[in-house]
Amino acid sequence: MPTILIVEDDEHQQLLYQEELRDEGYNVVVAGSGKEALELTQRITPDLVVLDIAMPGMDGIEALGRLLSRNNQLPIILHTAYATYKDNFMTWSADAYVVKSSDLAELKAEIERVLAKHSEQPKNP
Amino acid sequence: MSPPSHSDGHPRKLIAMILAGGQGERLYPLTRDRAKPAVPFGGVYRIIDFTLSNCINSDIRQIFVLTQYKSSSLDYHIHFGWNILSPALGEFIRTIPPQQRVTENWYLGTADAIYQNIYTLERERPDLVLILSGDHIYKMDYRAMLEFHLARQAELTIACIPVPREKARHLGVAVIDGDSRIVDFHEKNPSAPPMPGSPDLCLASMGVYLFNTTTLVREVVADAKSASDHDFGKNVIPRMIHAHAVYAHDFKDENKKPVKYWRDVGTLDAYWEANLDLVAVDPLFNLYDPGWPIRSVPVQAPPAKTVFNDTWAGGRRGLALNSLLSSGCIVSGGFVETSVLGPHVRVEERAHVTESIIMEGTVIGRGCRIHRAIIDKGVHVPDDVAIGLDTKADREHYVVTERDVVVVPREMRYT
Repeated sequence: MPTILIVEDDEHQQLLYQEELRDEGYNVVVAGSGKEALELTQRITPDLVVLDIAMPGMDGIEALGRLLSRNNQLPIILHTAYATYKDNFMTWSADAYVVKSSDLAELKAEIERVLAKHSEQPKNP
Repeated sequence: MSPPSHSDGHPRKLIAMILAGGQGERLYPLTRDRAKPAVPFGGVYRIIDFTLSNCINSDIRQIFVLTQYKSSSLDYHIHFGWNILSPALGEFIRTIPPQQRVTENWYLGTADAIYQNIYTLERERPDLVLILSGDHIYKMDYRAMLEFHLARQAELTIACIPVPREKARHLGVAVIDGDSRIVDFHEKNPSAPPMPGSPDLCLASMGVYLFNTTTLVREVVADAKSASDHDFGKNVIPRMIHAHAVYAHDFKDENKKPVKYWRDVGTLDAYWEANLDLVAVDPLFNLYDPGWPIRSVPVQAPPAKTVFNDTWAGGRRGLALNSLLSSGCIVSGGFVETSVLGPHVRVEERAHVTESIIMEGTVIGRGCRIHRAIIDKGVHVPDDVAIGLDTKADREHYVVTERDVVVVPREMRYT
């Protein structure tokens, strides 16, 4: 069962994503900030990260770079209420960019696609 | 920059990024206290001055210099020597040390240096990025390359120069089709193919890359996320040539000599040779062309002078022949031949300096014999010292090159 790390500062959204993704059969771990995500990934290696951008403290853009610098094969989906970051070069290192919506179909589809893509690729030695 | 000429009439924003973080290990001890681009060259210049002058002469006035190792000398040089542009007009030469914004590492390679500076590209949002090395000596009008890039609708254009095939082992070699599109690329491969019709030559990359910004960002991101040495020549370009429009631009040399001049003065011997070439009657590299000025830090110093002209036998005579003498030099009863003297060098009476490079502020004491030496800044060579006459003995005290050039490090103390 793949483990998904949700990085999200809003508690209601944390609960919602946790529940919905568990229903999809994923193992779900939650971090409330970019900093917490970095600490957490020292201990566990998720199969994929769903990363909010606008968060207090270290934002998702900075967390994205730092997560990749530790593990450049880690699949990361940016998940934000704003479409405007999509043009920002700093977000182009994410595997996907999903604008938040009450319907989680797109997020779920992207998770599936990115996981499938990464399982095809040979891992770094 | 002022709007370049281009094929479709739309102005393009172009910025230059000069990679100036190399350690220059093979130039040690000249690089003991400074990055390779900050190594003095030709008396009054630093190696990076040639690339910066190319930018200014090409009307490129938005320039980032990506520094890394031992950057304080380079930083000082750029802030005080190259403070010539107008920030009010949006022009700048700005040094950027590693920001550790996206990683805790230093630059892992040339492509990683750009990856780590994506933030700067995001802030500037140029249409095109010209990636240059701060290590090379050549004269190039990058506008000709830009014209070519736009005309071909290239995503990446690489400036290339024909070089003897035996150099392929040190360089990136491009194989092109009839339209100059790069169809194959060999990085540091001694068996890289020759140019069609010229079995002794191959087409070498000069490390001058003109990228469409979006292509550049995509490629350095893909590179950062793959198992790679994070190097443009080794990893990024070979991967790009099959899926992208990558072209070779034939280097047009502004040096106006029969043989095109482009040097990576990567070794002490190459460095010594390139400097001493400057004193020739007709040097390979011309510093005196008013049409292509090479700029540097203006030195506040009086004119160079030679003194003493004793007419009796054994008298003192200050003489300098076939040499470059920078401002502030005094040849005081000594003899200088086929040498390059930096600013404020003093050659005392009866001293002989031949085939040597003497850097700023160094004093050659009375009666010294200096031959085939590179003496870095601020050395006081005591009276009657011989350097370069007995290289076997010199090896006990100094770095001596394969070709028996003796190198005295900066501010070396003689006790």
